[in-house]
Amino acid sequence: MELLAVIIGIGIKSIIFIIGMFLLAAYLTLVERKFAGHVQQRPGPLHVGFHGLLQPIADALKVLTKEDIVPNFVDKYLFYLASLMAFVPAIMILAVIPFGEPITIFGYEVKPYISDVNVGLILALAFGSISIYGVIFAGWASNSKYPMIGGLRKAAVLIGYEVALGFALVGPIMLAGTFSLREIVEAQQGFFGAFIWYQPLAFVVFLFSILAETGRTPFDVQEAEAELVAGYNTEYSGMKFGLFPLAEWYIATFVLSAMAVILFFGGWNGPHIFGAVSPYIWFMLKLFLVFMFLLWVHWTLPRYRVDQITEIAWKVMLPLTFLNIFITAGIIIIKG
Amino acid sequence: MPWIKKEKAEKLKEHFPSIKINQYKDNISVEIEKEKLKEFLSFLKENPEYQFKMFIDFSCVDYPLSNPRFQGVYILYSPQYKERIIIKTWATNEELPTITDLWKGAKWAEREAYDMFGIKFQGHENLVRMFMWENYPYYPLRKDFPKEGIKNTYLPSLNEPENSYPSHDYDPYHTAIPTLQDLEVTQKTRMPEKKAQIVLNWGPLHPGTHGTIWFIFDLEGETVKNCEIILGQLHRGIEKLSEDITYTQVIPYTDRMDYISAICSNVAYVNAVEKLLDVPVPEKAKWIRTMLCELQRINSHLLWLGTFALDLGALTIFLYTFREREKIMDIIEGIAGIRLNSTYMRIGGVRMDLPQGAIDVIKHFIKDFPSKLKEYEDILTKNRIWLRRNIGLGIITEEDVYSYGITGVVARGSGVPYDIRFTDPTDAYDKVDFEIPLGTQGDCYDRYLVRMEEMRQSLEIVKQCIEKLEKLKDDKYLATDNPYVLPTLEETFNSIEAMVKDFNLRIYGEQAPEGEIYSSGENPRGELGFYIINKGEGKPYRLRIRSGAFYNLQIFPELIIGRTVADAVVLLGSLDPVVGETDR
Repeated sequence: MELLAVIIGIGIKSIIFIIGMFLLAAYLTLVERKFAGHVQQRPGPLHVGFHGLLQPIADALKVLTKEDIVPNFVDKYLFYLASLMAFVPAIMILAVIPFGEPITIFGYEVKPYISDVNVGLILALAFGSISIYGVIFAGWASNSKYPMIGGLRKAAVLIGYEVALGFALVGPIMLAGTFSLREIVEAQQGFFGAFIWYQPLAFVVFLFSILAETGRTPFDVQEAEAELVAGYNTEYSGMKFGLFPLAEWYIATFVLSAMAVILFFGGWNGPHIFGAVSPYIWFMLKLFLVFMFLLWVHWTLPRYRVDQITEIAWKVMLPLTFLNIFITAGIIIIKG
Repeated sequence: MPWIKKEKAEKLKEHFPSIKINQYKDNISVEIEKEKLKEFLSFLKENPEYQFKMFIDFSCVDYPLSNPRFQGVYILYSPQYKERIIIKTWATNEELPTITDLWKGAKWAEREAYDMFGIKFQGHENLVRMFMWENYPYYPLRKDFPKEGIKNTYLPSLNEPENSYPSHDYDPYHTAIPTLQDLEVTQKTRMPEKKAQIVLNWGPLHPGTHGTIWFIFDLEGETVKNCEIILGQLHRGIEKLSEDITYTQVIPYTDRMDYISAICSNVAYVNAVEKLLDVPVPEKAKWIRTMLCELQRINSHLLWLGTFALDLGALTIFLYTFREREKIMDIIEGIAGIRLNSTYMRIGGVRMDLPQGAIDVIKHFIKDFPSKLKEYEDILTKNRIWLRRNIGLGIITEEDVYSYGITGVVARGSGVPYDIRFTDPTDAYDKVDFEIPLGTQGDCYDRYLVRMEEMRQSLEIVKQCIEKLEKLKDDKYLATDNPYVLPTLEETFNSIEAMVKDFNLRIYGEQAPEGEIYSSGENPRGELGFYIINKGEGKPYRLRIRSGAFYNLQIFPELIIGRTVADAVVLLGSLDPVVGETDR
């Protein structure tokens, strides 16, 4: 009976998280478009609702009602699977991301996360890696040259940055002594407790890896529109097409920004100035700032060439993470 | 004067006694028989007294009544002595020897001559059509080309049912249209053998090609092993069209060649015609032309910068440059009445006087623009990603420049001080003070820097023009007393003489005495030259357009082999072709 209650509880929570994530992702598109608009000295969406507030809904309706064209020459099974493979793992990372401390509502203890497994971080990395398959499948299944090149480029980039990302996380893990994301947050108390002060190198590598993983400039080689039309999703249309940018540019970016906040900015820790909701506000504020930083980079810089990206990954980022690990380990040993 | 002196040309007779030397105005042309052509050309190229190292243009002229029928016209330039020369030869048996072993730039020009006239070039490595598809049954620039269309070939219309009466008053018939098989054959002949893994069709409609160029990349992974360019998607036959219309009527066609810098093309053409017809241009019109040319150059370079950055992934610069470009567009619209294809120039001046307030607006722009230019440079010039993408890519040596006939910014990026504004100043360019920025390496980054600096220099020129134009406020802007210049609208409606003149010029054209001229202007894309043969018919007998972008693009396959597709975008962007001009 208790097991059933837990399953129902997790089920309800998952649905809330998924629906919430969908809505959030939809509005993140608006945030990005507004942000890009103001960076480029134009107003961005303006006419649907107040300052374009209803634009994401209009876009969603448009994408959902579009004709879904599946070309004849594609591998249909993989073609359908690919868009899901890109999308589902990205949203699955949410399962291990804690958004705050447990709170008590009407006598029940509500945890603002789905599960707090003790290997949360590794699970998040694993889910992130699965979503690469979506991109590669999309490139392969399209049976077309541009998607193929786009998919292979993305694979090359991701292999490089997954490794660097993984090693970058070792530093914070060593400091916190745990893989549980909640405990990592609890290990960073106070303003100077945040790991960014102790792990600046790891943070830089992590930030670059987010940009590479989510396909934002300067690492957006997989869909470099001037070279590859739209990269791996050239043959996609309708909602199947919509899932790729939604997963990559918004959900994955959001989730990885959340990870950055948890690992380096002390998660929901902050002065209790907003009362009971203050952890959530701090968390969302930090997350929003990281997200905005990524947008800022995206809308400013030109892009690297794919071989330069992999070169940076293997020759710069990876040695930096090793250096970081050795330094961290050394300091931990010396300090005892 | 950028033409060889008559005396110096006469000296050539010592080595080649059979040549004939003609002079029209300052143009010197040398006629030589076909058998001696190669020897003569290599003599001109190698001899230290002449050193005509730079290939400018090659084209043909059709004289249906003479035998042999076709004449080849070579234009060469000597960077050492800053001289041009025209060499003519008759193509007996419709054949000419290839000169691709002397100048690589002749490769496409000879293909074009083959495409348009059907002249065979002995020894050319892959003599296929340039603009038309294979199996196209005609040679369009021959005088016996069926201009009225073929009655049994129906041009399908997208919006009219097949048997209905057409809404336009011309026939729905056309010359041949290509079938899918024709295009396949075309693609096969352009790149006969496949060397590597994938053949990637990059274009004709692709966001990275800046128009409708069709690239074929033979890829090994992402490395380009072989590359071919198929042009002609935007080929409208402007050279052919202009053979049937008066000189004034050609002006709008020049707009539509390089539509990014329409005014520069206008000015280059109008200057050539004025030289041919001996039309003096009022001082004020000269200054207006110079000013507008330079504004157009800034405009064109801004568009280039925006799209170049866009190709490299920097999306924001594109909108920043368009912000400034919009201001220039508004200025041009205010002066000419039309934004893009303004047709503002007239033979003998400009169409209208500067409107009230135009100078104030331009002054404001001059004040505002340098800070904006600094903004672009802040974002890009020292950006490490920008440097890594640009430096060392697409290095064009000085030798390449001469061999391929590369002109404009691309030549100056390689350190060759070839600028028509400087070597053959038209309009008021000899009276303004400006510098020509030169590159050192000849890579994409140098071309970027040269273009950025050129915008500054153009601004300086505009400043000087403004100062001068303020003094010339009440001068004439159109030399209407000349017999070849159309009267203004006001004159036409108020005097019967002007009306008769207007009528005559519009119906019979500018019936000047026979002559031929080559004159060029410095377009933002390179040297835009017009070689016009006038037979006194009121319309050009032959109008050859020497397009800078056409010759600049030709080096692309050589530079891209061994690089990746990602480099192709950068390289193409830095060569900056406009397909309207390459295809004409």
